[in-house]
Amino acid sequence: MTTTLAPARPAADADRATFAALAAREVRRFAVNPVFLFAVAMTVWVLSTDPGNVTEIDSVNWIPAVFLGGFGMMATFWLTRSMRASEPIVGVTPVTLPARTAALCTVAIVPFACGGLALLRFVQLIPVGDPAYGAFSPSARIAVLVGQIVIPSLGGPLLGVALGRWVRFPGAAFVLFLILFGWGNLVTALSISRPDSTPLVVLRLFAPFSFFTLRGNTAHLTTWRGSPWFFLGWQLALCAIAVLVALLRGAEGRARLRIIRALGVAGAVAVVMLVLAAAGGFTHAVTA
Amino acid sequence: MTASISLCDVGRTFGATRALAGVSLDLKPGVTGLLGPNGAGKTTLLRLLATALPTTQGQVRVLGLDPEVPAERTGIRRQLGYLPQEIGFPRGFTAFAYVDYIALLKEWTQPPARHAEVRRVLGLVGLSDLSAKRIRAMSGGQRRRVALAQALLGSPPVLILDEPTTGVDPEQRVTLRTVLAEIARTSIVVLSTHQTEDVAALCERVIVLDRGRVRYDGPVTDLVSQAAGRVWLADQPDPAASASWRTGTGRYRNVGARVRNDVEHVEPSLEDAYLLLRGGSPEHEPAGEMTS
Repeated sequence: MTTTLAPARPAADADRATFAALAAREVRRFAVNPVFLFAVAMTVWVLSTDPGNVTEIDSVNWIPAVFLGGFGMMATFWLTRSMRASEPIVGVTPVTLPARTAALCTVAIVPFACGGLALLRFVQLIPVGDPAYGAFSPSARIAVLVGQIVIPSLGGPLLGVALGRWVRFPGAAFVLFLILFGWGNLVTALSISRPDSTPLVVLRLFAPFSFFTLRGNTAHLTTWRGSPWFFLGWQLALCAIAVLVALLRGAEGRARLRIIRALGVAGAVAVVMLVLAAAGGFTHAVTA
Repeated sequence: MTASISLCDVGRTFGATRALAGVSLDLKPGVTGLLGPNGAGKTTLLRLLATALPTTQGQVRVLGLDPEVPAERTGIRRQLGYLPQEIGFPRGFTAFAYVDYIALLKEWTQPPARHAEVRRVLGLVGLSDLSAKRIRAMSGGQRRRVALAQALLGSPPVLILDEPTTGVDPEQRVTLRTVLAEIARTSIVVLSTHQTEDVAALCERVIVLDRGRVRYDGPVTDLVSQAAGRVWLADQPDPAASASWRTGTGRYRNVGARVRNDVEHVEPSLEDAYLLLRGGSPEHEPAGEMTS
């Protein structure tokens, strides 16, 4: 053993370099998280089916949302909480809590990219021109898929970070996952019975994931009300809110004020987008 | 200019509980030991110095920087090593991975330099051979050394250690004393402990806290000398002593406030002096403040 002391550490001029290195570290930790690996494996398994076996989009499009989004949320929640016990140490390092939170938020790039790949595979399984997408225009069909596959893969993990920063209960992410899953199923079930009800459209879209078509047990395909494009806006606003809420933890002074102001803007945008999503699209459900 | 920490009339309350009251100190490079009973305010004082806690009264300056100002607080943290009293470790981390993670948070962004530094500090605490072992599989003393290793990253100018030797075996304690003494040549090292022998072996200066106030602040030798003639051996516990206990030889070591000539005196230790200062037992009311 030696007691020789090292020279002072290298000049710490680069907040940006530290952030980049930390973000890369968190991305690596997330990418090897067993929960996330399981989610990826399940998504790959489901999407590796033969193209001929998939005849309706609603039997598959929720898979990436549930696994990459829902399980991704649980993985980032765990990742965020993992250093909680070491907070007395990490809390007095030069990297502030909001900076560490921002680094954690960057891990959502991984499931987002996986969601992008899942989208490409999905389009391979059911080309955009397929009647399985209902009465939507080709561009709206893309919006539906992005909103159902890619954005939940981004938003779920961001929500997990926010939850990890603010909620102490260790099972919070799982409980939230169940609530969101239950909510999605409930409003979908209600929408089947009353597809033209405006309040139900709002309730259906008041979620991070929503179906826009449903074949159900009949031979007919129903295209529901609601604008897929504005729904995308609503989802992205939710993502922004999740990031801002996460960053608010530990923010001080002017930064805190800026975050609160941005939260107000994001909240207003979210409301507008939800209203437009509910008001847009078809005026009534279209069954073909 | 010599690096320093200064506290002026510093107080800290937690609700109705006053953890620190009117503490004024000036700390220079060297090892300063912090002694006191449980609840004396030692950990609170260290957390204030480590920027983990704001004051509710008074002023703290660490290396001339104000911890209340966010930018200056970051400046302090860049020059700080802190070992908290209690710490948990994340699952799945090895000793190397954990210290490496903290090094990253301490802005060691270049992997080769960071890895070399991590290996160095793990070597300082005698964990080179266990660097690949998962922390959760380590003993309490080994975990404590992992926590200490991260505090030593970059040989910081300010090193705040809350009970660094708890659970550490005697051999390692001696080694750690050597390491800390070396660092203290240029750094301000403040350590809180219940191990008076660590303070006696390592510290030039000792501060005794009691109920949030400074009871003694001065050289260790001065505190010990105040116990001269007040420690004696006897076959029975002496009713005149404020503290007495049976030693390994079967005789009783007595510590009392009054100087006695009719007994077998022994060389006082820092523990004796500390007990005398405390009045023999934790229940005693504090006497007046003593400074060297």
